[in-house]
Amino acid sequence: LSKDKDKSAASKDSTPEGPAKRQEDRAETRKQQLLDIIGNMKVEVSYRKKLQQLKASENKKQAMDKLEGPDSEGSVPQGITEDTQRGKPLNPELVKAASAVASSLPRNKKQTESELLAQLRRHEETTDKQKKGGTINIRNVISEMTVKRQSPAQWGARISGRISLQLDEDGQRIRPERSSAQSMDSRSLKVGKRLNIFTKASTEPEHALKTVSSPTIWDLEFAKEVAAVTAQPPRNGFEEMIQWTKEGILWEYPIDNEVGMEDDAEFHEHIFLEKHLEGFPKEGPIRHFMELVICGLSKNPYLSVKQKVEHIEWFQKYFEEKKELLQEI
Amino acid sequence: PCPRQVRSYYVDWRMLRDVKRRKMAYEYADERLRINAIRKNSILPKELQEVADEEIAALPRDSCPVRIRNRCVLTSRPRGVKRRWRLSRIVFRHFADHAQMSGVQRAMW
Repeated sequence: LSKDKDKSAASKDSTPEGPAKRQEDRAETRKQQLLDIIGNMKVEVSYRKKLQQLKASENKKQAMDKLEGPDSEGSVPQGITEDTQRGKPLNPELVKAASAVASSLPRNKKQTESELLAQLRRHEETTDKQKKGGTINIRNVISEMTVKRQSPAQWGARISGRISLQLDEDGQRIRPERSSAQSMDSRSLKVGKRLNIFTKASTEPEHALKTVSSPTIWDLEFAKEVAAVTAQPPRNGFEEMIQWTKEGILWEYPIDNEVGMEDDAEFHEHIFLEKHLEGFPKEGPIRHFMELVICGLSKNPYLSVKQKVEHIEWFQKYFEEKKELLQEI
Repeated sequence: PCPRQVRSYYVDWRMLRDVKRRKMAYEYADERLRINAIRKNSILPKELQEVADEEIAALPRDSCPVRIRNRCVLTSRPRGVKRRWRLSRIVFRHFADHAQMSGVQRAMW
């Protein structure tokens, strides 16, 4: 390859000097060189980089030459004109490489060349779009996907059709009416693509939430069906344990003794319960009784403050109801 | 998909009744506790305690915990039930011999 490099260097030195006539020769020599290089390429892959370098170095000079003289024969300029006709001109390096490759292949030269150039054009388009910030394309696709997603009512309609024959009181089938009505609604609701140029992406989930805000029974049924179908049996013991933990059969490790209890009250609220005794008379057997109750409750670690207060309130109600009886005594 | 027997009903009607009793006992547990606290008292006047007696008798019969019977969970056998496993002795032996009871081994000494 070093020999080729020298040749090309020598030829480059000669090209800027010569007139336009020499272009053909140059082109052919270039082509031949490229062919040789590509022929060598088939043997080893590591030559790719060297080839690219060669192309870059050659085609810089060639671009200069082309600007000078447009008249030149051969399949090379034809390819160029084709590209320019299409609008976006391809990188001449790639064009050259494509032409060389096409000529090296045994099949129809022009066909292969045109195909290669078309592919290159496509690549160029995609790269340009990505440079511009081509995530818009993806977003469009995603937004399209959301639009295509059917409204929950349609799912319900589908399932209802599948599962049972829904008969109205008139004896007519509800399903076709439902589906037609909902298809109209869905089209009117979701009109057009979102370009996401001015709005933030966060508006999309809001939109999605609005459609789901009214879950009918059919939605729940469908969700249950989907969950039942997608829930694969556990492949191993770990997945089984995960499933059990989710269901609540298995406790979470390390074991937390206070899993169900969320007692945010301080200890003084548990022990000093006398403030709840304000509704009772200050003297007498009832007071005596209630003080015993409070003593017992304060020593009880299993009840929450709420439950203790409920006990005391119940006693209060009870004694108020029995006031007449007590006054007789 | 389950390899074991799938039991979707209670074993028999007695088991069902036992279940109902347990539920009711759970609901009325607090009330019974409070009324009994009034009854088993030496401080409050006796008239009050008699009224409390009548009240507790007026509660539904199935709400008292005494009526609950610890039956076997699988066969609903009322007797020979070990509390720790809630199983009757026959079922327990069956599972233990098939090595399906964790940590249970035949005694030999």
